[in-house]
Amino acid sequence: MARSAPRAPKPGLFDSYRALPGVPDELVDPQGRMRPVWAPLIAHLDSLGKDRIQRDIARGEQYLRDAGVFFRTYGTGSPAERDWPFSPLPILLPEPEWAQIAEGLAERADLLETVVADLYGSNRLVADGHLPAALIAENPEWLRPLVGIPPRSGHFLHFLAFEIGRGPDGRWWVLGDRTQAPSGAGFALENRMAASRVFAGIYGKSNVHRLAGFFRAFRDALNGLQGDASVRSGGKVGILTPGPMTDTYYEHAYIARYLGLSLLEGGDLTVEDDALMVRTVSGPVPIDVLWRRLDAHWADPLELDEASRIGTPGLLAAIRAGRLTLVNALGVGVLESQAMLAFLPGIAGALNGRPLKLPNIATWWCGRPAERDHVRAHAGQMLIGPALATRLPFETDNAHALAGQLRGAAGPLDDWLMAQGAGLVGQELVQLSTTPVWQDGGLVARPMTIRVFLARTPQGWQAMPGGFARIGTSADTTAIAMRQGSTVADVWVVSDRPVAGDSMLAEPGRAFARAGSVALPSRAADNLYWLGRYVERTEGLLRLARAYNARLAMAGAEPLRNVIAETLASYGLDPAEPLPAGLIRTLGNAVDSASRIRDRFSVDGWAALKDLEKTMDRMAGTVTAGDDAALAMSVLLRKVAGFSGLVHENMYHATGWRFLTIGRSLERAATMAELLALLTDPQAPSGSLDLAIEIGDSIMTHRQRYAVMASRESVVDLLALDGQNPRAILFHLTEIKDQADRLTGGARRGHLADFTRSVRAVQTRTALFTPETLDAAALRSLRGDILGLSGALSDACLL
Amino acid sequence: MIYDIVLRLSYSYANPANGGRHLARLMPADLPGEQRLIAGHLEILPDPSERTDRSDFFGNRATDFTFRGAFDKVALNLVARVDRRGPLPPGPSLPVTDLPQALADVQSMGPDAPVHFRTASPFVPLVPEVSTYALAQTTPGMTALAAVAALGQALHRDMRYDPEATDVDTPMAKAFAARHGVCQDFSHIMIAGLRGLGIPAGYVSGLLRTTPPPGKPRLEGADAMHAWVRAWCGPQAGWVEYDPTNAVFAGENHIVVARGRDYSDVSPIKGVLRVSGSQSGRHSVDVKPLTD
Repeated sequence: MARSAPRAPKPGLFDSYRALPGVPDELVDPQGRMRPVWAPLIAHLDSLGKDRIQRDIARGEQYLRDAGVFFRTYGTGSPAERDWPFSPLPILLPEPEWAQIAEGLAERADLLETVVADLYGSNRLVADGHLPAALIAENPEWLRPLVGIPPRSGHFLHFLAFEIGRGPDGRWWVLGDRTQAPSGAGFALENRMAASRVFAGIYGKSNVHRLAGFFRAFRDALNGLQGDASVRSGGKVGILTPGPMTDTYYEHAYIARYLGLSLLEGGDLTVEDDALMVRTVSGPVPIDVLWRRLDAHWADPLELDEASRIGTPGLLAAIRAGRLTLVNALGVGVLESQAMLAFLPGIAGALNGRPLKLPNIATWWCGRPAERDHVRAHAGQMLIGPALATRLPFETDNAHALAGQLRGAAGPLDDWLMAQGAGLVGQELVQLSTTPVWQDGGLVARPMTIRVFLARTPQGWQAMPGGFARIGTSADTTAIAMRQGSTVADVWVVSDRPVAGDSMLAEPGRAFARAGSVALPSRAADNLYWLGRYVERTEGLLRLARAYNARLAMAGAEPLRNVIAETLASYGLDPAEPLPAGLIRTLGNAVDSASRIRDRFSVDGWAALKDLEKTMDRMAGTVTAGDDAALAMSVLLRKVAGFSGLVHENMYHATGWRFLTIGRSLERAATMAELLALLTDPQAPSGSLDLAIEIGDSIMTHRQRYAVMASRESVVDLLALDGQNPRAILFHLTEIKDQADRLTGGARRGHLADFTRSVRAVQTRTALFTPETLDAAALRSLRGDILGLSGALSDACLL
Repeated sequence: MIYDIVLRLSYSYANPANGGRHLARLMPADLPGEQRLIAGHLEILPDPSERTDRSDFFGNRATDFTFRGAFDKVALNLVARVDRRGPLPPGPSLPVTDLPQALADVQSMGPDAPVHFRTASPFVPLVPEVSTYALAQTTPGMTALAAVAALGQALHRDMRYDPEATDVDTPMAKAFAARHGVCQDFSHIMIAGLRGLGIPAGYVSGLLRTTPPPGKPRLEGADAMHAWVRAWCGPQAGWVEYDPTNAVFAGENHIVVARGRDYSDVSPIKGVLRVSGSQSGRHSVDVKPLTD
């Protein structure tokens, strides 16, 4: 019986995908078939079509931009924030294969713990000849002040990352161990957020293991390391960051928010009687567990690198006294050196009696004749470089020889190996597997490595099910080609069975507990206070500059323009510039303050502030003086209002918000006092009173409340003494007083009481004025008193 | 020889400082067979709010102290009695060329293990000019011990002792280029030269007998804390100590306070304290033999 021939199916993405010959591929098995784990995702993509896929990808990228995910890069010139190089297509691995990786890495993690405990303890490995003494003693990451100090938690290592790749034989290999302060776990979360948006149609039903459980387990493990004193004082575990100038600061802030930890810098901490304390607005509060994202050298200028300006003097004393747990312990960076890879396999054999389940790339230390000769004989297939380097194979610099070619060092290879052998290692050139990448409407094969994270929990090492992958930008599969740049992708560990949905939010039905309010670090309070002031100052200057430009073409307005010009100049603004550089600088100060407290800030608030800055930068090049500039400033004022609205509507009214509010009110009250002193002076040019009302944004109110022309008295009444007008001096002094009353002093009660008293005095004095008695001289004196409150606040809370 | 030692260091702040954490290494060392600390007391004024006396990786005595209130002057007064015998005569030294193998055979990470002292350290980068200079002072087949003396004498001959020319932060290479400096510069340059030759070398901070024995010249550096060099000459000779500022092996007149890779490991005071005025005006040292 004749059957109609089946319609030839449209060629799918898989059909046009070309794996590289002789290179293992994640999508295609050695027989050329699609690996089953990919089938649903590829079918989903085929069903969508090219344009729809492109739109979905744009959605994920939009998410990353909105979230403000960035890398800080240091090239020539000033540091820049670079967009996150997101590659939308995830890498898919079946659960059983992942379980093997996790098991192998847990074994490796235990080995690393044993090795580092020995290096800071009895030194058997050196004494028994498993490790050359020189390799340890000459490693700058082997920190002598830490020798002989067992970690309080009983462990040196709590959180690790491993860079792994799939070799030509299809097996997984470890390319590098990250022990010092592994980064990327937060970025892995952001990758997941972005990928789950791109593949919203299929992610939920793809049996992909969620990441939240891993983070919850790690957070619980960190909390479990806390001592009694910290728990009693309501202290939180902190993340110790080098600060906003670090390339991964975004991640520190992000993960602090995500895990509910305090983000702390060295300067936030002090050591008293061997206990580590956070300097907060309520005085020192003990803290005894820090997840360290700061390289060990910078941690304590007294005993480690003296040049450090980002450390805490006495940190080592707290460690010696057994009062502090660092995750990971100081000194574990010694494990990251390339030379360690040459000895770990042998140590594993000696200690475990069997080879490592997950081998690392073959490495030879050139400090011994046999190994040196081997490297010399095989230099053509090797990467030769500094033994103590901690960089990964694809991050090499010019101090390396690749395939026998000397890159940076002078002279022939043989001489180099002979003269500096003890400082060199040879490593086999790593070939990586490929994975499909979305490019130009199709899939292409690109090399990749995966970073896997392990956390120590009371139940043992737990691996993050997933992670982040780096993907090369060319088809060259030698690991070193990754130097040319890479993108990052999510990794999906796919189960045969449905997996439980999960997030960091508490499970329903679980006991509800309100966390006690946690003292605000003084540095954060200081930045919030100045953020409030700078945003307010930006707004005030915008209003002045707008008034100036609006009057530029007005006949007879020159005397008034001069008054405005002088005021602008006193803030460092050149009124001749349509959009003065001084204005951009003032906003820049606000952005700078905000960037130092990203962990305390909503994503929307930050986006609004950056949007304002971007708009202002753009306008600076195009705006012309006069009405055009006045219009531009109206646009900018609306954007400022958008930011202020977001902050004041959405920010939880905790201590941090109070400092922001005090900063804003103080700036507004002081500026208004200055302005009124100028504009309500009997000698002021005509139009001054109307200008005051305009800048005070109170034209309507004045018309309603005083059915008369503006008089000196009506203006002073409305803009200085009206307790209901959010532009008036008295209104803001009352606001400051209300906020000050709600601050709790803790150990700094005395200083705080001084501040509160000063606020009350100024507020009361202001309330007692009448429009008649509050003349220019009184306004100037009032301005001085208001600005004086700033110093009193510093003494009370911020020092 | 038994010495009575009185060391007074005083610091003052231009602006009253509020709090501060410090680390002092001033107490003379106890070195079995070489030097015995009979008694010692380090007084710190004003009374610090915290104080811990301990020993560091290299076995030096270290004192951590912290002030909390505001103050403008700090004084450290050390009083100690020390019995200094001088080092035992060294065993036979290896030729310089045999040291690499001897070093590879040392499987120890202890504080005296030569492995800590072979390459660059924070204050002693490996400077090719210094290595070349050191090599020029040696002859083929020379023992490590002879090389130490040769380099030390050469530096004493070629370098000008000048307390005004350098300070604690002057880079070693700069002092060498100008061929001048104080004991710290002499010692760092000699350490760099020895390491350049493949001889492990370290830094010793200490004190000198203030007035010389009758008929002997007064040693340079006796009016302040002094510094000299130690070098490893093979497993039998072990460590020897040489004072390049005075071109002598350290002996009975050299009282050891602390040992390390370079100044950064032994600096007498660390923390926010800064010397005000000239060092000589504020510091005084008296090292007097009890018996002559």
